[in-house]
Amino acid sequence: MIQDYLELLERELNFDRSLSRCVRQEVEDHLWEAVAADLTGDMITAQQRAIANFGDARTVAAQFAVISLARHSRRAGVAAVLVIASVFIAMKARIAWYAAAQWAISEDMRAVGGLVARFDRYAFWMSLIVGLGACVYVVSRQIPATFHPAYRRQLRRFFVLCCAATAALVVSVISDGVLTALQLRGTELSAGFLLSIVSMAIEIACVGILVVHIRGITLRAASTAAVLNA
Amino acid sequence: MEGEMLKGHLDMIVLAALSAAGPAHGYAIIEEIKRRSGGAFDLPEGTIYPALHRLEQAGLLKSSWMTADSGRRRRVYTLTRTGNRALVERRAVWKQFSEAIGGLLGGTRPREDPA
Repeated sequence: MIQDYLELLERELNFDRSLSRCVRQEVEDHLWEAVAADLTGDMITAQQRAIANFGDARTVAAQFAVISLARHSRRAGVAAVLVIASVFIAMKARIAWYAAAQWAISEDMRAVGGLVARFDRYAFWMSLIVGLGACVYVVSRQIPATFHPAYRRQLRRFFVLCCAATAALVVSVISDGVLTALQLRGTELSAGFLLSIVSMAIEIACVGILVVHIRGITLRAASTAAVLNA
Repeated sequence: MEGEMLKGHLDMIVLAALSAAGPAHGYAIIEEIKRRSGGAFDLPEGTIYPALHRLEQAGLLKSSWMTADSGRRRRVYTLTRTGNRALVERRAVWKQFSEAIGGLLGGTRPREDPA
């Protein structure tokens, strides 16, 4: 009987595997301890009573789902800042390499390069400021006990900020790609060439990580809503 | 006592129970709440666990896993320094609030002269 209850609870929380495993272990310990403390002596009655006192598995799962969503939103906020910082490091490392190797954009492309670099700079700083804002916003919110409308609004704001930061970062990385292509035009394959390509790959991977985090929030929000509506 | 009324104060109740009991697992915390409240609080026991997780995320509690005598894995919670401070603050707010309500309902509190 207790196993059935635990399986139902675990199933309801299966969108967050580590949480569902951890909750299962914790609740299992609780229920068996309640059974051991029961004075009726009848195992079946004791298990029924322990489960009844614990409450409906779906209600408990819904409360955990809100906490899981809040935790992942916070994580996504911190990840956004780390990802933007990583892009910055990759970008600066590439520029430092160009300076050391005395590589410059060819004369005929210098005007285009200047324009793209300006785009790049504005887009990057915008992504950093908005990403930092999103992180501070989500970390400073209290974790709610329920998925109330005010919290939904907070999440929506955070989501919009994250999307804006990601969009700006995508523009910045595309601009970096264009600048790198201009820089490497006519260059022969060398260690410096590969370094530029690797640093670009790092930037693209960083954007991918951010997109995965944002997608994770939307999936989790949908799972939380599903658990709450069940 | 009504569940909705309790839910608003659940965090403070859990912090107070943990402060009184010392490091404890969920079941022991619930028993402590029952014992100290004289069984007045009638919440589903499962409600305590999400509250414990939420308080841990807020940095008011910390937890560690250990193996109980039964051989089962057990999660033990401890109040952090921040949690202790939060409890002191909430106690003060509650005291003020209950005195105000007590005065209002019982009419025992002398009215202050308008300045």
